[in-house]
Amino acid sequence: MGSRLRQVASLLRSNREAALGAVIVLAFAVTSLVVEAGILLNLQVVPYSPIQQNVGPLLASPSLAHPFGTDSLGRDLFSRIIYAMPNDVAVGYVVVASALAVGSVLGSFAGIYGGIADELLMRFTDVFFALPVLVLAMVIALLLGSGVTNMMIVLAIVWWPPYARLARGEALKVAHQNYIEAARLSGLKARKLIFEHVIPNISGTLLVYATLDIGTVILTYSGLAYVGLAVRYPYPDWGLMVSDYNAYVLSAPWLPLFPGLMISLGVIGFSLLGDGIKETMEKR
Amino acid sequence: MNLLRFALRRLLFAVLVLASVLTITFVLSHLIPGNVLQAWLGRSAAQFPNLAAAYAQKYHLTDSIPVQYFYYLVNMLQGNLGISPSRGFIPVGQVISETLPFTLQIVFFSFIFSLAMGLLLGILAARYYRSPADNAIRLFYLGGYSSPPYFIAVILLIVFSFYLGILPSGGAYDVSLTTPSIITGLPILDSLLEGNLAYFQSAMVHVLLPSFSLALASFGIITRVARSSLLEVMQTDYIRAARAKGLSEGAVFFRHALPNASVSLITISSLIVTFLITGTIFVESVFAYPGMGQFVVTALAGLDYPGVLATTLVFAVVIVATNFVADVLYAYVDPQIRLG
Repeated sequence: MGSRLRQVASLLRSNREAALGAVIVLAFAVTSLVVEAGILLNLQVVPYSPIQQNVGPLLASPSLAHPFGTDSLGRDLFSRIIYAMPNDVAVGYVVVASALAVGSVLGSFAGIYGGIADELLMRFTDVFFALPVLVLAMVIALLLGSGVTNMMIVLAIVWWPPYARLARGEALKVAHQNYIEAARLSGLKARKLIFEHVIPNISGTLLVYATLDIGTVILTYSGLAYVGLAVRYPYPDWGLMVSDYNAYVLSAPWLPLFPGLMISLGVIGFSLLGDGIKETMEKR
Repeated sequence: MNLLRFALRRLLFAVLVLASVLTITFVLSHLIPGNVLQAWLGRSAAQFPNLAAAYAQKYHLTDSIPVQYFYYLVNMLQGNLGISPSRGFIPVGQVISETLPFTLQIVFFSFIFSLAMGLLLGILAARYYRSPADNAIRLFYLGGYSSPPYFIAVILLIVFSFYLGILPSGGAYDVSLTTPSIITGLPILDSLLEGNLAYFQSAMVHVLLPSFSLALASFGIITRVARSSLLEVMQTDYIRAARAKGLSEGAVFFRHALPNASVSLITISSLIVTFLITGTIFVESVFAYPGMGQFVVTALAGLDYPGVLATTLVFAVVIVATNFVADVLYAYVDPQIRLG
């Protein structure tokens, strides 16, 4: 792991785009942690309460007191946007981490041992690829009910198949290398073989894919939030804000623009960082 | 293996996938918490016991699960998708036949825009590799595919409808015009066939912004693939041979490199269609475009299970059909695929 960190550090020094991506990703992560800590400790870390009305004039345009303006209920948009940040960030990391875990175990098992398990996994993921992830998530969301945690579960359910495919392909590549053959012939248990030998050797490719993928999860989550499946009123969420503030597109266009911009910024951060890491990996 | 046999095998696979999707929607419809009737009929279930009983009988909700599954399949294959609580209890099949044509119009035009823009910029980026133009194009598509479609839609709405005032802010056509009679079912095509040019023009103007929003969110995938496969092809021996023959750089690029690089575009086009059709859920709601995407949003809000499940099926059918066409097209262009 230490050598990997060094690689990332040297990448950030040589690739300005990846460095910019890393700055955005880090800023989002730190802000989210501070906001979450503030909620846990009951401290207000944003300038105004995100749900308190009439903290300023109604529909005020951006100013020093309210950098992103205020909404139709006189709530401070900047505070609402910062307060909502942990939703998107947490969903992105949690969903990708769970897909990575489930996908790499199932995929490497199928790749190394083949047979019926492999066939079943392939046909099952085929079906998944024919269904739009977002629509499938919406159907399951109807069953589970709305809420940020439920959306995490919904996305985790539908998100792992591409990871399993990728892990299977990578596992097939290493399956016939001497160290895996040797480990297998020495009678190592499947669980040990997969966790101690296969996964560590395919994790590089999977991690690069995962970095690029966090942005996609955030985009999909923001879609679920947009149709009202994630957050309950009056709490703020970026996707939901764009949807709610659509009505003010004429009188106060900054209202839908700022939350939308935050989603794009977050996704761009992960794309830049992921692309940079991918380029360095491919060069070697 | 010849092309026909390959196509038949892919068709069989498509049917199997759709059968699995039907099974999944059946299972999901039975996982609905609480009483199924309550979920399907909403409050009316309690208000009108007769309706509830008739409904239970019609959909065999009191029979055993295998029997219910059999009738579910029969109903689906007959196009009987249940009734929609969120649309005043009219049949879901009717809602879909009214809304799907509008959605397909957006998908069609956004696909054309996305492909045109994606290819053009991909070619430019490859031609001027590592130049400022290449970087600018990269920045442009990165912004596009990193943004939610509804956000792009809001920006276009502000710029083109409110600020410049040159395009309508919502709807699918000017409602004061006579609607074309149904020939193909697609209003834009029908109005053209009928010679109803006023409607045609109005419908085209209304479809521009929603389609362009989705194109801006998706063309980046095409640009990226076009650029990298062009750059890859330019390194191959036959391009070197073409150059050695003394062909001009332009002739090498357009006559030899481009056709070979375009093969890889077929495989991602089905990915793009999947993206576009789910994207209609968002852009239709921003532009109040009366398609199936908007129906999904209201159905979700109204806990309209039959509506949501039926639209899921329709989305799956469109996606499986596009994948099938892309597979066959790919095999046609690249014989290695059907031999493999």
